[in-house]
This record gives sequence, structure tokens and C-alpha cells, in this order.
Amino acid sequence: MFELRFHGRGGQGAVMAAQTLAEAAVIEGNYAVAFPFFGAERRGAPVLAFARIDSKKIFSKTQVYVPDCVVVLDDSLLDTIDVVSGIKPEGSVVINSKEEPDEIDLGKELRTGAIDATSVALEILKAPITNTAILGALARVTGIVKIESIEEAVKTRFGERLGARVGERNALAARIAYEKTVIGISKGIKKLETKKQWLPSYQELPVGGALIEGRTEAGLIGPGSFIENKVSGWATFRPVRDKAKCTMCLLCWFYCPEGTIVRISDRGDLMTNYDYCKGCGVCENECPVDAIKMVRGRV
Amino acid sequence: MITIKTLSDENLFTAGHTACPGCGVAMSIRNAIRVLGKDTVVYVPASCAVVFGTTFPYGAWKVPFFHTAFENTGACLTGMQAAFEIKGKHVISAGFAGDGGTYDIGLQSMSGAAERNDDVLYICLDNEAYMNTGIQRSGGTPFGAWTTTTPVGKKIQGNRRFKKNLGDIVTAHEIPYYATLSIGHPLDFIRKVEKAKNIKGFRFLHMFTPCVPGWKIDPAKSVEITKRAVESGMWTLYEFENGKKKITYKPGKMKSVKDYLLMQGRFRHMSEEDIKILQMWVCKKWNLHYKEKGEPDICEIVQPEEHHGITEEHREMHGP
Ligand SMILES: Cc1ncc(C[n+]2csc(CCOP(=O)(O)OP(=O)(O)O)c2C)c(N)n1
Ligand code: SF4
Ligand code: SF4
Ligand code: SF4
Ligand SMILES: [Mg+2]
Repeated sequence: MFELRFHGRGGQGAVMAAQTLAEAAVIEGNYAVAFPFFGAERRGAPVLAFARIDSKKIFSKTQVYVPDCVVVLDDSLLDTIDVVSGIKPEGSVVINSKEEPDEIDLGKELRTGAIDATSVALEILKAPITNTAILGALARVTGIVKIESIEEAVKTRFGERLGARVGERNALAARIAYEKTVIGISKGIKKLETKKQWLPSYQELPVGGALIEGRTEAGLIGPGSFIENKVSGWATFRPVRDKAKCTMCLLCWFYCPEGTIVRISDRGDLMTNYDYCKGCGVCENECPVDAIKMVRGRV
Repeated sequence: MITIKTLSDENLFTAGHTACPGCGVAMSIRNAIRVLGKDTVVYVPASCAVVFGTTFPYGAWKVPFFHTAFENTGACLTGMQAAFEIKGKHVISAGFAGDGGTYDIGLQSMSGAAERNDDVLYICLDNEAYMNTGIQRSGGTPFGAWTTTTPVGKKIQGNRRFKKNLGDIVTAHEIPYYATLSIGHPLDFIRKVEKAKNIKGFRFLHMFTPCVPGWKIDPAKSVEITKRAVESGMWTLYEFENGKKKITYKPGKMKSVKDYLLMQGRFRHMSEEDIKILQMWVCKKWNLHYKEKGEPDICEIVQPEEHHGITEEHREMHGP
């Protein structure tokens, strides 16, 4: 049995990728299952999906803890999540990244295929939706399914939902990614500690679950503790403000859903704290004097 | 009077919450609590806002926050306020409930608090469907909209019912203050929240809050959409005070609903015929709200052709 774990962010289509892979495997006469981790994740938040492929019927229903392959749709996840946790030593990694495999530090030396799927998606699909491109790379790195089967599965699955033309475009994105994928060995330097959880005994739990502000081994808890949750990894584009053009109308400051635009120097100026910017683009869209431009990548 | 310039810098709903990029609910909550200030206690029932604002043991609220079930916002507010009154503490008890939690499941509880004219602030964050559980139709979903429970099929496309007139239901309780708000109209927004803050008795703020995945929109457009909604009459900015209704923003000339619909994936399937039906519903509302005495009807009301899903009963209720 070949087991896969997909790491993505809500809205990137990790679940759809796992399901499409399973369909491709079925096209080739194998058995396959695919399912998401059930949580309350919104767009941009880290999500998980799983798939299993076998020549026999599959009875295992658990999450995948010892994957043969890990697929990462967004390399910003590497900063906070040990994506290769539990992977088999001979396992492989498929990752959406601008970097070459031997520049990517996964904390383990693993056979790794890298593809800049975001660029492929932006070019072919005109949107940063990378789930079909990554499947092309997956076919290349693992050989677990043929690229032709991926193309067929993509065409049917996406075609049915979004029309034949969208299906074709997505199949093309998979093919281009298949051809462009670079395979190498990842670096194994960093020691990633997964964030500790707050696990109080029942005696320690306050009555009614009522929390006051406090610091635990899991960091801040209680009122306002989300401030330790850096969400910058959610953004594909980030706003850059042209100070000379800005009239300080404060509309961007008012609208920003994150509260990441703050007033400084005695309220005479603005600053964007990129730790909390999710790159929604509302500030750019609403600025009456076009002082804000969204740019790709880190600024 | 508070303006954008004098609005507090303090983030009482902190950054680091987990709403989708461009979430209209997050924008509305952040600014409402900025106006209400720190002497506020907040209740949020099951909804997106409870999940992205608090994931035990973490939370974005820096004011006391309380959560129990889905259907009881009105009752919880009443109880909270009573407890604080007994303790001699002066606070604003504010509830932030979704449209599902207000139009449908929480209606009786809200009605009870309104009927008793309890001294609480009820805020409805209307994103026009049950978003937290993956986009199901609510009483607040507009005609034609796709949701997972009003799918687009060959025979029937999207929601066949019209958005429930919640404003009239709420104001029928003869409460001191009800207002509709939109995040795309900041001055009106701030003024109404401030007004509701300072009134005694049951106040209801009805906020129009775009949802990025639920409406299938570009996150950057979520504020722009609220402006188009108001310009086309799909959302009306008004307030109801001491038995009198007053429009607080009157668009110059009515824009076609198409202008509003085309920006959103949830309406993209709509047939010309369905758009006409929705346009007529809007015209009726427009004439009701905006037409001055003696002015002719603004819209031509066109009789639609026979249409599946629209019954005689519907016609009686919602116009020709
Ligand atoms: C009694 C009950 N029924 C169903 C649910 C599941 N549930 C949680 S949130 C939610 C949807 C909330 O919709 P809405 O009130 O419109 O808020 P939104 O998420 O759209 O902001 C549902 C159905 C529940 N928590 N309790
Ligand atoms: S892009 Fe969105 S989250 Fe980032 S600063 Fe602008 S409005 Fe705020
Ligand atoms: S919206 Fe534009 S002009 Fe207004 S404060 Fe922001 S950057 Fe400056
Ligand atoms: S699903 Fe909609 S309402 Fe919920 S967090 Fe996302 S944008 Fe906001
Ligand atoms: Mg809702």
C-alpha cells in the first residue's frame, strides 16, 4: 500500500488533489481512497488531506501517520509545521517551491521534487490554485500513477464541476509541472519543534472553561492570545504603500479585516505589520488614491 | 461623535484570528467593538465568528467573551445583563449572531429579549447563509443564490425563496432602535454603532457582511460589493427609532441588480428570467423605501413568464 499525506492551506484544494489522485489510481485499475482531516479550518489556514493506493481493497480508515509520500502545496507551511513527520526513510516529498530541492531544509534528507506550482498556476489558470500542478509533479517524483492518468482524472473531475475548458487548462497545468519538476535531495539541518499543546488535567481546567489571560507551555492563552498566531504565511500577495501618494484618509486602516494596518508616530502615519496580513487586497482595492499596490512574495 | 479619525486604535479584537482573507464579518466585528469600547461583554453563538474569533484555549477578544449554544443569543444577553446589573456594573451586553442564528434558529430567543425590551445590544452579522458549516441556505439567503442546499440543477437553479424581511419582524417589537449597516459605508456604520451604544433598551444592529467562499467572490472586492448592494437596492441603509423609519443613505439612481450579481459566483448561473424576478423584488423594496410622496414608481414592474418554483402564493407575497 502506498500512503500519502497532503499539506496545504484552506482554499488551495488539498482535498481535491487527494481525491483526483485517487481517481487517477482507479483509472489504472488500482484501489484508492482519499479523505480530508476534519476541522474548522478557513481559507488560508493549514489543512491536511490523505490518500491511499493499493492493488488490493483498502480497509484502513485512519489518518496517515507513516507516509510514503508527503505533498506540500505551500512551502510557507515549512516554517511552522513538521511536514515530514513520520515519513518512511525511503519516502519522497513533493513540494511547491521556487527553490531547488537541495536548498529546501526539511529537517531530513529525503528524495524531493520541487516545482514552482504557484507560477505555473498563475500563468495557466490565472489564479494561485496549485492543486493540479502539484499532481503533475507527484506523478513525476513517485511514478505511483502515470501523468496521462492524472490528466484524465483532472479533466473529468474539474471538467464536470467547472466546464470542459477549465478541465483542459488544469490538465495542462499538471503536464507543465510534470515536465518542470526538479528532483534532488532535501537538506536535513533544522530541528523543527511542533508547537506544544496546552493539555491541562481536568482539575486544572477552570469552571465553565472560563479563561483569564495566561502564559503556558503552549504560549499565551485566553483573551487576546490569538496575537501569537502569525498568519503571514496565508498571503500570496502583500500590500506596499506609497507614502507620497497617501492622503491618510484611513480607509485602509478601517477596512483591514486583520487589524494589521496600525497608526504610528502619534497617529500621523500608518504601518503594515506583515505578520498578520493575509493578503486579501481590500486595502489596495479601496484606497481612493491608488497608493497601495499588492506585490507577490515577501516584502 | 466618533469619526474614522477619532476611532480608537486599540484592537479589542486582535490580529491573528483565523477568518478567511477579506472576511466581511471580521471587518464588521473589529470596527463595532472599536466603537463599543472595553466596557463591553460579548456573546457569540455557534457561527464562523465563534470559530475564527476563539479556538479554545485561544481567542481574539480582549473583552469578556461568552459562548454557549447556537439558538440562544437573545436569552444569553438578557441573562448576562441581569447578572451585571445585580453586581452594579455598568456594561454593554453585546451579542454577535449570524443570519442563521437570527433569522432562523435564534428568532424566538431574540424575539423574547426584544419583547421584554431588555437593555442589550443584538448584532446580526448577515452573510446570507450558514457559512460555518459549509454554506447552507438560511432565511437571509437572497433569491437565486447558490448554496449547498439550494444547488444549481437543470430544473431549479439556486434559492427559490426571497430574503426574509427581518427588519420588519424586529421593528414590529416596537424596540427603541434598529438599524441596517454596511461596512462599505464607514461614517454611517460608526454613527449607528455609537448611537446604539448609548440608547437604553433593546437595540438591534443588522450588518451586511460579505463572505468570500460563500459568495464566491474575490477577497479584495468584499467592501466594494457592499457599496454595489446599496446602490442597486439589494441592501438598504436605514434606521428605525421610536416608531419612525428613516433612510440614512439614498443612492442617486437605481442600478440594475446585474451590476451586483455579476461580481459573485453564487449568482453566476442565474437566467435572465430569474434576474428579472429578483429585480422586481428589489424594485418593490426600492419604491417602498426611497420613493418620496407623489413620485412615480422608479422601476417598471414587468410581469415574469411562468416560472418553476414561483407559486401563486409567492406572487401574492412578493409582488406580481
Ligand atoms: C443547535 C445547533 N444546530 C446546528 C449547529 C451547527 N452549526 C454551527 S455554526 C452553524 C451555522 C451558523 O450560521 P450563521 O448563524 O449564519 O453564522 P455564519 O457561520 O454564517 O457566520 C451551524 C449550522 C449547532 N452548533 N447547534
Ligand atoms: S491585504 Fe488585506 S490583510 Fe493585508 S493589510 Fe491589506 S487589507 Fe489588511
Ligand atoms: S486608503 Fe490609501 S490614502 Fe487612505 S490611508 Fe490608506 S493608503 Fe493612505
Ligand atoms: S466563511 Fe465567510 S464568514 Fe466565515 S470566515 Fe470565511 S469569509 Fe468570513
Ligand atoms: Mg451566516
